[in-house]
Amino acid sequence: MGKGWQVGLMFLLLGIGLAQGEVDPREEAKRQRELLLQTAGILPTELVVAQGEELFNRKGPSGRTMAECDFGLGKGVLEGAAARLPRYFLDTGKVEDLDSRILTCMTRVQGFKPEQIRRSEVVAIAFYIASKSTGHRIQVRLLFPQERELYALGEKLFYARSGRRDFGCATCHVTYVGRRAGVLRYADVLGKDKSWTNWPAYRYSNDQAWTMQDRIRACYTVVGHPGPELYSLPVLALQLFMAYQANGAVVEEWPAFVR
Amino acid sequence: MRQTFLFLLALLILALALAQRYFTEEELKLIQAGGRTYAEAFTGQRPDQALCSIHRNRLPADLLPQFLEEQRALIKYPADGKLMGDWRKGGEIYNDLRKANCFSCHFGSPVHLGGDVGPSLEKYGLNRGQSEAIQRYTYEVIYNAWAYFPCTVMYRFGALGGLTPEEIAHVVAYLLDPESDFNTKPAVGSK
Repeated sequence: MGKGWQVGLMFLLLGIGLAQGEVDPREEAKRQRELLLQTAGILPTELVVAQGEELFNRKGPSGRTMAECDFGLGKGVLEGAAARLPRYFLDTGKVEDLDSRILTCMTRVQGFKPEQIRRSEVVAIAFYIASKSTGHRIQVRLLFPQERELYALGEKLFYARSGRRDFGCATCHVTYVGRRAGVLRYADVLGKDKSWTNWPAYRYSNDQAWTMQDRIRACYTVVGHPGPELYSLPVLALQLFMAYQANGAVVEEWPAFVR
Repeated sequence: MRQTFLFLLALLILALALAQRYFTEEELKLIQAGGRTYAEAFTGQRPDQALCSIHRNRLPADLLPQFLEEQRALIKYPADGKLMGDWRKGGEIYNDLRKANCFSCHFGSPVHLGGDVGPSLEKYGLNRGQSEAIQRYTYEVIYNAWAYFPCTVMYRFGALGGLTPEEIAHVVAYLLDPESDFNTKPAVGSK
């Protein structure tokens, strides 16, 4: 009885929250987070993080867990690792973000075949590893030529106009910052909103766990532009560009909790 | 020998400058990794899109006259010459997220709450009348917004094939016709 009443109230408040277009989305997300915490006793983000931790400690076909992998700060060191990604890795000779580094770990160290790896597992593991960077500052460097080349490509992609609707990231997220098309106002992704620190995140409006890769792909596809494939170079390039702009920003909470 | 090389190099640079490419061949190769359909949007980038990309949506004044002229040249009109079609059909196009999606950026629809990326169009026809000049202006902005607002975010509906000339004329009627729901019913969110 008591629980049913609480859940009912939660949905009512959620409905009111979604119906009002004009509340500050950050404040609203905080409110929704508190509400979920009070009624369910645990956050969806915590559930995904716990699932990710289990997968992290699961042995792959090679008999190794993911603790054998280097996420940039040495084998098995996760504290603050995600805040320093994407970066160039000497063992693969590639710039990798959290998602692609997880993929590398699962295939090269754990012995999974690429076709065995489920996206939902990668996201859960990303949630877990990212959770170890809450409170850390973003520290992304452009040290290796590969990092500089990818950054330059990301910057160009960010300002490019393309496709049948003249799509361009900057067209909305620089020119129309603060304006509204649809429900949310355009975030200042290169400036004060430090959007890089908002992902990975749980989206309470449609119960999805997303990394920045998913978010970037959605930016394109929501306006009918083909999106770049997961783990592909253009996604990495855009991420490196955005991450570098957010250097020095403190990660408030990873995984984040957004609309 | 050296002179020939320099001459060819200068010619190459000139050719590249005239073509107004935004991405280099090398960058386009890297973009291929994003998948075929994604990459095609960039390998097929139009010269006007390249120009807006190069200048980050703010064209220098000396480029404007030619740019506007080229954009104007892309505008085509309905075969019957009528710039105002059926406002009911226009309303369906205007208020469909997957079709024209006008309401997402413009305030004024009696069906959906509008955004504020573009100017408010509330009671558009009542405030402006239905003169030939306002019909033409409205039609042309929808057909090719870049002919009036270079590099703007608004889709170039006619120029890039999102809507046919007839469909655009329907939307013009939806906005202008005094009988249209757009002008007779209150806009969602109107105070």
